[in-house]
Amino acid sequence: MKRTSTHYEMELQGIKKNLLFAGALAEKAIQDVVTSLVDKKSDLARKVIDGDAEIDKLDTEIEDQCIRLLALRQPIAKDLRFITTAIKINGHLERIGDMAVNIAEKVLELNELPQLKPYIDLPRMADIAREMIRGSLDALVNEDTELANRIRRMDEVIDKLNEQIFRELLTFMMEDTRTVHRALLIMQISKNLERISDHAKGISDMVVYMVTGESVRHQWPGDMPENNGKKR
Amino acid sequence: MKTRLFYKIFGTYLVILALAMAVMHFFVGQQIKSGLEAQIERELLTHAKIIDLGTRSEIESRLFQLARITQSRVTLIDDNGRVLADSDEEAFKMGDHIHRPEIEEAKVRGTGRSIRYSDTLGEQMMYVALTVRERGGITGYLRLARPLVEVRKITEAFNRILINSFLLIVISSLFIAFLFSYKLSSPIREMEQFTDRLRRGEGPGTLIIESSDEMGQLAKNINYLVEELRSQVKSANEEKGKVEAAFASAIEGVIILNSLDRVESVNRSMKGLIGDQYGDILKKTPIEAFRNIDLQKALDRFKATGKPVSEEIVLGTGTPIILDVNITSIPGVTAGEEKIMLVFHDVTRLKKLEQVRVDFVANVTHEIKTPLTSILGYIETLEAGAIDDKETAGKFLQTISRHAQRLNRLLEDLLTLSSIELGEMKFQFESVALGGVMEGVLNFMELKAREKKLSVEKKIPETLPLLRADRDRMTQVFLNVLDNAVKFTPEGGTVRIEASETGQDEVVVRITDTGIGVPRDEVDRLGERFYRVDKTRSRELGGTGLGLSIVKHFMLAHRGRMEIESQLGRGTAVSLYFPIWRG
Repeated sequence: MKRTSTHYEMELQGIKKNLLFAGALAEKAIQDVVTSLVDKKSDLARKVIDGDAEIDKLDTEIEDQCIRLLALRQPIAKDLRFITTAIKINGHLERIGDMAVNIAEKVLELNELPQLKPYIDLPRMADIAREMIRGSLDALVNEDTELANRIRRMDEVIDKLNEQIFRELLTFMMEDTRTVHRALLIMQISKNLERISDHAKGISDMVVYMVTGESVRHQWPGDMPENNGKKR
Repeated sequence: MKTRLFYKIFGTYLVILALAMAVMHFFVGQQIKSGLEAQIERELLTHAKIIDLGTRSEIESRLFQLARITQSRVTLIDDNGRVLADSDEEAFKMGDHIHRPEIEEAKVRGTGRSIRYSDTLGEQMMYVALTVRERGGITGYLRLARPLVEVRKITEAFNRILINSFLLIVISSLFIAFLFSYKLSSPIREMEQFTDRLRRGEGPGTLIIESSDEMGQLAKNINYLVEELRSQVKSANEEKGKVEAAFASAIEGVIILNSLDRVESVNRSMKGLIGDQYGDILKKTPIEAFRNIDLQKALDRFKATGKPVSEEIVLGTGTPIILDVNITSIPGVTAGEEKIMLVFHDVTRLKKLEQVRVDFVANVTHEIKTPLTSILGYIETLEAGAIDDKETAGKFLQTISRHAQRLNRLLEDLLTLSSIELGEMKFQFESVALGGVMEGVLNFMELKAREKKLSVEKKIPETLPLLRADRDRMTQVFLNVLDNAVKFTPEGGTVRIEASETGQDEVVVRITDTGIGVPRDEVDRLGERFYRVDKTRSRELGGTGLGLSIVKHFMLAHRGRMEIESQLGRGTAVSLYFPIWRG
């Protein structure tokens, strides 16, 4: 009996491990792709594009693990919530990986062109996005709803940065039509970073659900009480 | 424990006793009963024989008297079994007696005997019959009967005695069993308490039981075992202490994972290495704790192959720490309990030094190659015929000379640096007045400053104490710093020189410019050899990239120091601290 439950624990831990590993890969991809842009190191961007295969492989592996566990162990209550959460988080991470690839493609193109402006806001957005991924997975590890909610609120900052970049680039384009191509590329990068932060927020939503059993996915983080989920 | 032993002993006593009593009751009781009966039978028979001496009529007439004397019931029966007379009952009321067992027996053997229950008396009766003979023929029977009251009473008395003594013995054996069990269990109890104390780790000492029997031997063995155990525990503790000390004081960071891959312990060095960037990592898996891809990959590789793995990883959420991690297993006592040891070696500094060395070689090569290429290029052009064109040749030679000078300057600077580092450079420390030295430096710099329309402000108090310095090197220091200030300040800017006492036996000379400044995160690297903030531009300005490096080293040799503050686009302030002369 003990053996079996230990084995079960190990399987759950294996899922968690792969999730965190995928998260770390996603984080690294974002970091690399932005470094590639700022330092004009195109080979880093290419590495990110190649590296996505690893995240995709993990994606299928995690899904298999989750489904196998669901089928064979019939988990209940919190374990069940963990597994459904894992499936969802897995999806988010996979999408984040894809977006890093999207950004990498734009970066490759941009690196061939003269720099339009100093990249200041983009690295900031990327840093926040990475922090959100990391934080949301920290919240998963520590079952910390407070942290999860803090991460959920960080999404707003990124949205604002995205808008700011958009407005700035708009003036560039209006002043000089030769900048349109580059400005659009930068805009797409910004948009992708913004979507990455949405996914990180999605992960945090799932963590809150996992810990409390309450779905907060369609709640605005500002509306929530500060320590939502501490009730149980 | 004690009570159970007591019951065991007492129970055994009880069983033995009961058996003895049963045997007594059965055999002795039987013996007494049959002996008494035989005696009564003999008596009755004797009486019968005596009575038989009389004639029938005599007997009949004295029947009651005879019965009283013999204390029995006398019955006279004829040969057909009809009762002729009876001492206790009317004869005619009594039935045919020929088939009574005693009569039938007497008919055959002359005497007969029978014991049976009498309904009349409600008692066991013994009947003894005798044939009455006249002229050789049986003419009747004489029967005597007596109730066996005495036999019953005696056996009953005997049984009572038996029961009484049984009770008495039971009570006394209760005491004996109690005492005996107490005596037997007290050493056992002592051993029990002793081992219990031992288990709780309380109280030393040995077990003392003064007994030469098995208990004593057992106590001896226990003592022996305890001694053995103590020495083993002691050596194990010592061993553990050594390991723990090694673990705690190791320079390398060490993390031990339990069989479930969770962090079991972290040593002090490891905590020092990672600080609290990762929070509490205890009980977490490495991926949970560090979220590091390379570490997890190394761990996976180790688990797959079982062979020690060595890997370089970068940790740190802020400033990166480069670590060499070695993963090995610690064999467990039982299978499935194996632990994993991660040993981290901080190679950040090493890597940095390596980088500096690589950069240095690359820089030196580059710095030398650039002027050389120009020189070679011009020489080639001259050889190709330009030498005949006087005017061009003159220009070319000037350029060649300029580059050669730069090369020379570079090599001189390098030599200066290396001789400082090797400690070969001799410094002649003397008392130096800052004002005088600065005067000379400024005379030298004046032309350059005027060319760029810079205003140079000097504020050196007359009262400033003498400094302990090597006059020539000090001049060189100011030249290098002012050269930079002039070089990197746009036209119309200001260069300010101020000197003041710090109050700590030193004088600070602060050279401030309104130049282009340096990004904040690059300020610390300014003293590095060949470090240039803006690579192309600084080289155009004719620097070797070694100026500040030399200043830094000179200041250190003066037991002073150099501090740089800068703001991008606003200017740079270089503070030079010289010790005061103490003649």
